[in-house]
Amino acid sequence: MGDSQYSFSLTTFSPSGKLVQIEHALMAVGSGQTSLGIKAANGVVIATEKKLPSILVDETSVQKIQLMTTNIGVVYSGMGPDSRVLVRKSRKQAQQYYRLYKEPIPVTQLVRETAAVMQEFTQSGGVRPFGVSLLVAGYDDNGPQLFQVDPSGSYFSWKASAMGKNVSNAKTFLEKRYTDDMELDDAVHTAILTLKEGYFL
Amino acid sequence: MSRGTGAGYDRHITIFSPEGRLYQVEYAFKAVKASGVTSIGVRGKDSVCVVTQKKVPDKLLDQTSVTHLFPITKYLGLLATGMTADARSLVQQARNEAAEFRFKWGYEMPVDVLAKWVADKAQIYTQHAYMRPLGVVTMILGIDEEKGPQLFKCDPAGHFFGHKATSAGLKEQEAINFLEKKMKNDPAFSYEETVQTAISALQSVLQEDFKATEIEVGVVRKEDPVFRMLSTEEIDEQLTAISERD
Repeated sequence: MGDSQYSFSLTTFSPSGKLVQIEHALMAVGSGQTSLGIKAANGVVIATEKKLPSILVDETSVQKIQLMTTNIGVVYSGMGPDSRVLVRKSRKQAQQYYRLYKEPIPVTQLVRETAAVMQEFTQSGGVRPFGVSLLVAGYDDNGPQLFQVDPSGSYFSWKASAMGKNVSNAKTFLEKRYTDDMELDDAVHTAILTLKEGYFL
Repeated sequence: MSRGTGAGYDRHITIFSPEGRLYQVEYAFKAVKASGVTSIGVRGKDSVCVVTQKKVPDKLLDQTSVTHLFPITKYLGLLATGMTADARSLVQQARNEAAEFRFKWGYEMPVDVLAKWVADKAQIYTQHAYMRPLGVVTMILGIDEEKGPQLFKCDPAGHFFGHKATSAGLKEQEAINFLEKKMKNDPAFSYEETVQTAISALQSVLQEDFKATEIEVGVVRKEDPVFRMLSTEEIDEQLTAISERD
């Protein structure tokens, strides 16, 4: 990938065993607009702030929440341009899966492949990690699912999660409000309340 | 604090700084401002107009060769603010891309598709170390078959948004403040109003009255969706109309 002059990884171990580029990428995520997801008994909701830099921006031209397949959606916190790359790759992977198996891709498989892409960019030559964390929300034969994927390429399944600015307050709020038998309407309501909590910060 | 072997290079290539910033991208934005030129774009009800300064640094230069306004196809225009050489390279590739699109899919490349392509290209340069980000902010204008007049702005970071009005370059922030006041109540500008808002915004922000040869103006109109650059006479007409109005 890339020019042969950069056939060495830019993400290398520090003496204390940390991959500092990934830590810096997480800082970029942490300064991005808040987004969150909640898994309900009968569905998943993902939400995000859409604060645009000026009233002159045409808000209909911006869509932060995007579809990866008809039953899997994704929202990001961090660098918007980086998220576009991941959405594009994931969409293609989903279609390749369908072409091979004639079945829509399960959420876990798509998350795994997206995470693999993100991990590649922490190890390949001449590239930097993605400056986004993704919340992938989907519904398949295993029911509603919510996954968070980080710049390192690690992913976890969540009942509810938040990313970006104000993440600790948002998570505390979600922990208080979350119940395992929530209906989707409740979850949407809770999601909006959580975003409102952090709005003035 | 242990910085790791990336230390010091975060200012030279596009890797993350400790605060999660990309210095090379931020410097690319500064390069756009360093060109000393300001550009403005305004979207009206059925037309889009972009205006930029035409600074010819030497009287011996052929004025017609100094331009920042480029037709990409007959229907799409691109205004590049910043480093001219980077702009020309981008325009060349954009023209190729638009022509291929038309050939492959059988219809003209829409404005937002071109804007996304430019922005995705810019994103690649922010992630791969072997190419630096381009020092240009691009405004793309055209008439979309379904959505009407469109104005998009793409920057070195890979962001792109549709705009009702926007600005780029040295006096970007002042111009945006001016335009926000004008567009506050979502006015639906006619063609004349669109062009005059754009030109008068530039005049107000730079605090000088232009001669027709000192600015470049590009327009697309719903009734004639071809991207056109106004001639000196037409620019003069608009300038006169503005001064009479005031």
